[in-house]
Amino acid sequence: MPTCTPFAMPISLSNADAGAVANADAGADLDPTSQLDIAGDLLTLLRTTTTEPRPDTQLEALTLAVAADLPVLLWGEPGIGKTAALTQLAAALDLPLTTVIASVHEPSDFSGLPIVGDDPAEQGVPMAPPDWAVRLVRAGRGLLFLDELSTAPPAVQAALLRLVLERRIGSLQLPPGVRIVAAANPRSSAADGWELSPPLANRFVHLQWTHDHEVVVRGLGGTWPRATLPRLAPERLSEAVDFARRAVCALLAARPKLVHQLPNSESRRGGAWPSPRSWEMTLRLIAFATASGVSRDVLSLLVRGTVGDGPGLELLAGLDRLDLPDPETLLADPAGADLPQRGDLRQAVLDGVVAAVRARPERDRWNAAWALLVRALETGAPDLVVVPATTLASLRRDDWDVPAAIENLAGVVTLSRRADEAAARAKRATGARR
Amino acid sequence: MGTRVRTDTGAEGSSDASPGAAGTRALDLDKLFAARLQAARARPYLATALFALHTVESRQVPTMGVDRYWRCYVSPDFVDRTPVEELAGVWVHEVSHLLRDHHGRSDRFAKERGLTGPGERLRMNIAADCEINDDAFGDGLVKPEGVVDPAFLRLPEGQLMESYLLQFQLGAWTTEFAWLDCGSGADGLEREWELGPDGAHGLSEQERDAVRFRVAQGITGRPGSAPEGWKRWAEEAFHPPQPWRALLGAAVRSAASAPGAGEDYSYGRPSRRSAGVPGTVLPSLRRRPPHVSVIIDTSGSVSDTELGSALLEVAAISRAVGGRRDLVTVVPCDAAARIAHPLCKAEGIPLLGGGGTNLRAGFAKALRSHPRPDVIVVLTDGQTPWPGSRPPCRTVVGLFPRHHRRTSWDEDDPDYVPDSPPDWARVVQIG
Repeated sequence: MPTCTPFAMPISLSNADAGAVANADAGADLDPTSQLDIAGDLLTLLRTTTTEPRPDTQLEALTLAVAADLPVLLWGEPGIGKTAALTQLAAALDLPLTTVIASVHEPSDFSGLPIVGDDPAEQGVPMAPPDWAVRLVRAGRGLLFLDELSTAPPAVQAALLRLVLERRIGSLQLPPGVRIVAAANPRSSAADGWELSPPLANRFVHLQWTHDHEVVVRGLGGTWPRATLPRLAPERLSEAVDFARRAVCALLAARPKLVHQLPNSESRRGGAWPSPRSWEMTLRLIAFATASGVSRDVLSLLVRGTVGDGPGLELLAGLDRLDLPDPETLLADPAGADLPQRGDLRQAVLDGVVAAVRARPERDRWNAAWALLVRALETGAPDLVVVPATTLASLRRDDWDVPAAIENLAGVVTLSRRADEAAARAKRATGARR
Repeated sequence: MGTRVRTDTGAEGSSDASPGAAGTRALDLDKLFAARLQAARARPYLATALFALHTVESRQVPTMGVDRYWRCYVSPDFVDRTPVEELAGVWVHEVSHLLRDHHGRSDRFAKERGLTGPGERLRMNIAADCEINDDAFGDGLVKPEGVVDPAFLRLPEGQLMESYLLQFQLGAWTTEFAWLDCGSGADGLEREWELGPDGAHGLSEQERDAVRFRVAQGITGRPGSAPEGWKRWAEEAFHPPQPWRALLGAAVRSAASAPGAGEDYSYGRPSRRSAGVPGTVLPSLRRRPPHVSVIIDTSGSVSDTELGSALLEVAAISRAVGGRRDLVTVVPCDAAARIAHPLCKAEGIPLLGGGGTNLRAGFAKALRSHPRPDVIVVLTDGQTPWPGSRPPCRTVVGLFPRHHRRTSWDEDDPDYVPDSPPDWARVVQIG
């Protein structure tokens, strides 16, 4: 049994003649080199982990935003795997990763270091870029990760923001193949006064980076997740652009107030807010999301991180409506209509159909709407049909005959009456109790 | 009329699973949906959420329960023995759990306090029910038999689930709720009859957010019909109030370290790097600690506890940004500004005053002091006239909320409403 403790090892390594001491101590069968080899073996064993496929919405969102060439700002507590995520992203996009810790640099490292030549008055002072920037430009492509933005002094942040927004380091222009991701600690845990002013916040896609307890536990147990990252489908590009333009324009045409809204409350400061610039970013993100077919959850993270929660949710609600069948198509072919399963969406469709009939009241359309209501009744919950049926009945003209299909809706009338009776009883009961 | 709704008997053998139960009756969907219609009529602002629920027949659930994917599990026997008007109340009750995100809040509460076990989850279900039930019923909805409300636990009404959780323990008088079960949508604990995340007809996270957002929008768009509790929910559903300490800290920090104060690059002294670049002048990192003036509203309307906590907070923050204690000045102010006290002189600063408020005097006093402050922090309840023009330094206002405005604070002019803090100040709600 070896008597050499692991703690004895560093001493024996730092000291040239300590090998003899260790040898004498541990016995003749152990020398320091072989100890180091064993340590290496142990480290290799520790590093050997497997991966398993697992959907990861925040990594998918990050990938899409980077693919769309938008600057991303990851907000997250230190030590939750932002760097690990970036490594995986770089591998997936096949880009070399360059990490720059912002807080250990000076502003001139990003705006260029002045180099004095022979005759400054005649030739000027060139601003020399740092070596990592030169290598990045020479490679022509890469993923630049600006870490620890929150602990850098304001002047460094200002210099960095020029790098992010104008893609310039000193006199060097970053090639288009370079993508930029930054990371910052949330305001509550930032030690210094780091805070984005509204114009700067508006240029980023803000992603909240959190860790999943289950993933961490499984990963430390030896199995890390492997996300299948979204791939753009070349044949869907033009369709995606159409869809994105339609979605954003439909919302902004109906809600002009959402085009530009400076954050007004303290709790929303430093985050995403809507402006023409961030709407353009949103449009790009919707197109990328559509072309790659990612889930709405991923798009939700991206959109809310670009224009803010309120406008983002309105846009997403609008997208849900865009997915709904068009009332005119339904009226044209009530027998083949495919109504959504979800009750609230189905009711929105039926309301839309009735509104379409009201907008252009014709006998055929009115009859088709009744057929649709019967179909809705046959395939879903009856209470959804009550309000559209009542409204549709009120649209009847004198010379229109009651369609035979109405017979099938007798149950709805019973249901409605039953609810009315219950309401009356409830009113009596609550009235009496008060 | 027969069954028209596809009920996923997700638990297909669910009727075999409970052989002893009188589970032979089919689910009376007409009764159930008549109740939902009545609920939607009584609470039109909840209609979207009610219709978004997907009904699943289950013989294992004691009454009705929801899961976090917006599926509603219904016991046929329960529907059979409950009148329509009571079922309507149950619908509203169950959908309230989902809208108010009780499962997410329960999970967070359990994680923060390290709570485990079904007993704790039962407590969460009871507390969640208390939050809902104190204003869910009445006005067209009958309170179902045997629901829990705060009065039963001898607790005050109108509080949030989290505060109820701190106030009661399971005991003799809660044992009769042991059957109480609103599903994982209420307390976050998965039940065996639930279909889980992969089952059919669940709502994804984005869809859940969308439904909640539509309901919230409906309430804020037509605030007349909704009760106070729902209006508050709608305002905070997607913008939960942030902890004031973090916000005040961020505001003071960013005011104190913005250009002109705090740590930044300066040409006042050359950088050590200049040696390597002969002939050029590089800036070096200099620190100029900010002077912070704290104006404290000592009028009668602000309580000592409020002032004490906020003052301690400001002192701690300004120390953290590098303001030495002697650079922090305190100006107590009611109708007139008193003497400016350096914070270093004594632990206790005499907070004189107690009369009416005029913060203009406080601003004037703070700006006259030498050296001039870089940042002014005002702690007040906002019932004061504000300076007419922007002061020549950054201003952060910590505002103590005042909800009870029924009695006017100005006896001479009962209709007087004080101005809200001006645009040039950053305002943080405290408490």
